[in-house]
Amino acid sequence: MDEDFFAEIDAINEKYKQEKQKKQEIEKYSVSEFLDLVNGTLEYAYTGVVVEGEVDSFKVNQGKWVFFDLKDKDGATVSCFLPVFQLRVPLEDGMKIMVKALPKVTRWGRFSLTVKQIMPVGEGSIKKGFELLKLKLEKEGLFDPARKRKIPENLVKIGVISSTQAAGYADFCKIINSRWGGLEIQVAHTQVQGMNAADQMISALRYFNEQAEVQIIAIIRGGGSADDLAVFNDEALAREVAGSRIPVITGIGHEVDESLVDLVADIRASTPSNVAEMLTADKGAEKIKVVRNIREIGNRITQEIEHLQGELNSKLNRIQDEAEHKIDTAIEQVRAKEKLLNGLNPDRVLKQGYALVSGDIIEGNVVKITTFEALAEAEIIKVKERKE
Amino acid sequence: MTKVKGQRKGNTMEEKKSISDKIKELDMAVDWFYSDEFSLDTATEKYKSAIKLAKEIETDLDSLKNEITVIQKDFTKE
Repeated sequence: MDEDFFAEIDAINEKYKQEKQKKQEIEKYSVSEFLDLVNGTLEYAYTGVVVEGEVDSFKVNQGKWVFFDLKDKDGATVSCFLPVFQLRVPLEDGMKIMVKALPKVTRWGRFSLTVKQIMPVGEGSIKKGFELLKLKLEKEGLFDPARKRKIPENLVKIGVISSTQAAGYADFCKIINSRWGGLEIQVAHTQVQGMNAADQMISALRYFNEQAEVQIIAIIRGGGSADDLAVFNDEALAREVAGSRIPVITGIGHEVDESLVDLVADIRASTPSNVAEMLTADKGAEKIKVVRNIREIGNRITQEIEHLQGELNSKLNRIQDEAEHKIDTAIEQVRAKEKLLNGLNPDRVLKQGYALVSGDIIEGNVVKITTFEALAEAEIIKVKERKE
Repeated sequence: MTKVKGQRKGNTMEEKKSISDKIKELDMAVDWFYSDEFSLDTATEKYKSAIKLAKEIETDLDSLKNEITVIQKDFTKE
């Protein structure tokens, strides 16, 4: 029994050896096939390797292809390659960067990294990349104040691009909920730092522009190191923000942090909380305003009533003045006439010693004589013509 | 879209007019009181309407909540 078993095992091993030998004899590769095999193995083993190093021998060939070496302090070097349209951060020799790439052996047998993404690393490199790209975008007019749009009126629908786990997002929600209500806020959850963040935010921007009915898009990210915020200097992301159909407001980092995305956005807020403040009125202040408005229109009615009362009083006064004036005039006229009449009163003349003779002045005729104090009768004895 | 718990909209009856719309309406009512169209005959009626609107705004400001929804599309897998 045991002998049969071992004989069977030996037979299997022999068969395996023969098959292996046969296979090895068959598996001869052409150079291209071998390179394909190697590249397939590399691709399987390293789906997206991230390598950090310093840029050296940077050059652009025929305006289409970018070549550079990445080296480290130990002198190790690896060649890198990418099409120029994928270069989203300006590079210069000496800049420290991080690349996400696929390792590959070229048809000429040279090992290189086919770069998919690049991010500057370290404050100096980030600043250098920022300044170079800022200059480029500025020349294109992407920061022109004339391009900037205002926050839409009657804001109800807001799109937010942020990481929902980020502290900045929590601050934004807290402030906006405390300040205002009735808003419809759609949130696109994306990474806001790291190699993939820019592409995710670009995708979210396209989603809002193509599929969502929002009036403004807010890009929110709390404070962080220069490395954390480097993604907001990505050229493709900056261009996507600049080309957004819907106005974009940014609240990235703190007041002192300035990114290219901030510069191309329509409105820049200093922080995520500040975005919430800029997008909404404060409900407390609004209540005070409403009360003040009501008080003002109440005052306006009172003011109008007082004004009308004033006008009425003025008219009554005028009527009274006019009436009094007419009465006074009449009284004066009466008094003048009275005075005139008094002047014509015969008694007044009689009182001065004169006498009134009534009757025909004919000799022999009896006339009546009236003095102030007495009445008498007298006979006309003689009449003579008076000569002056 | 996924609704965030506790952030549902409060007063659904008032969806036709937003708070901003009502505030704008109140502002216009106030403007009327200072315009040439102002007349004491209609002022009282307008004043009553303005007070009603102001109360509605105050109620809305106290009760309306924001609706925050996270879009289901997974941008992190782009």
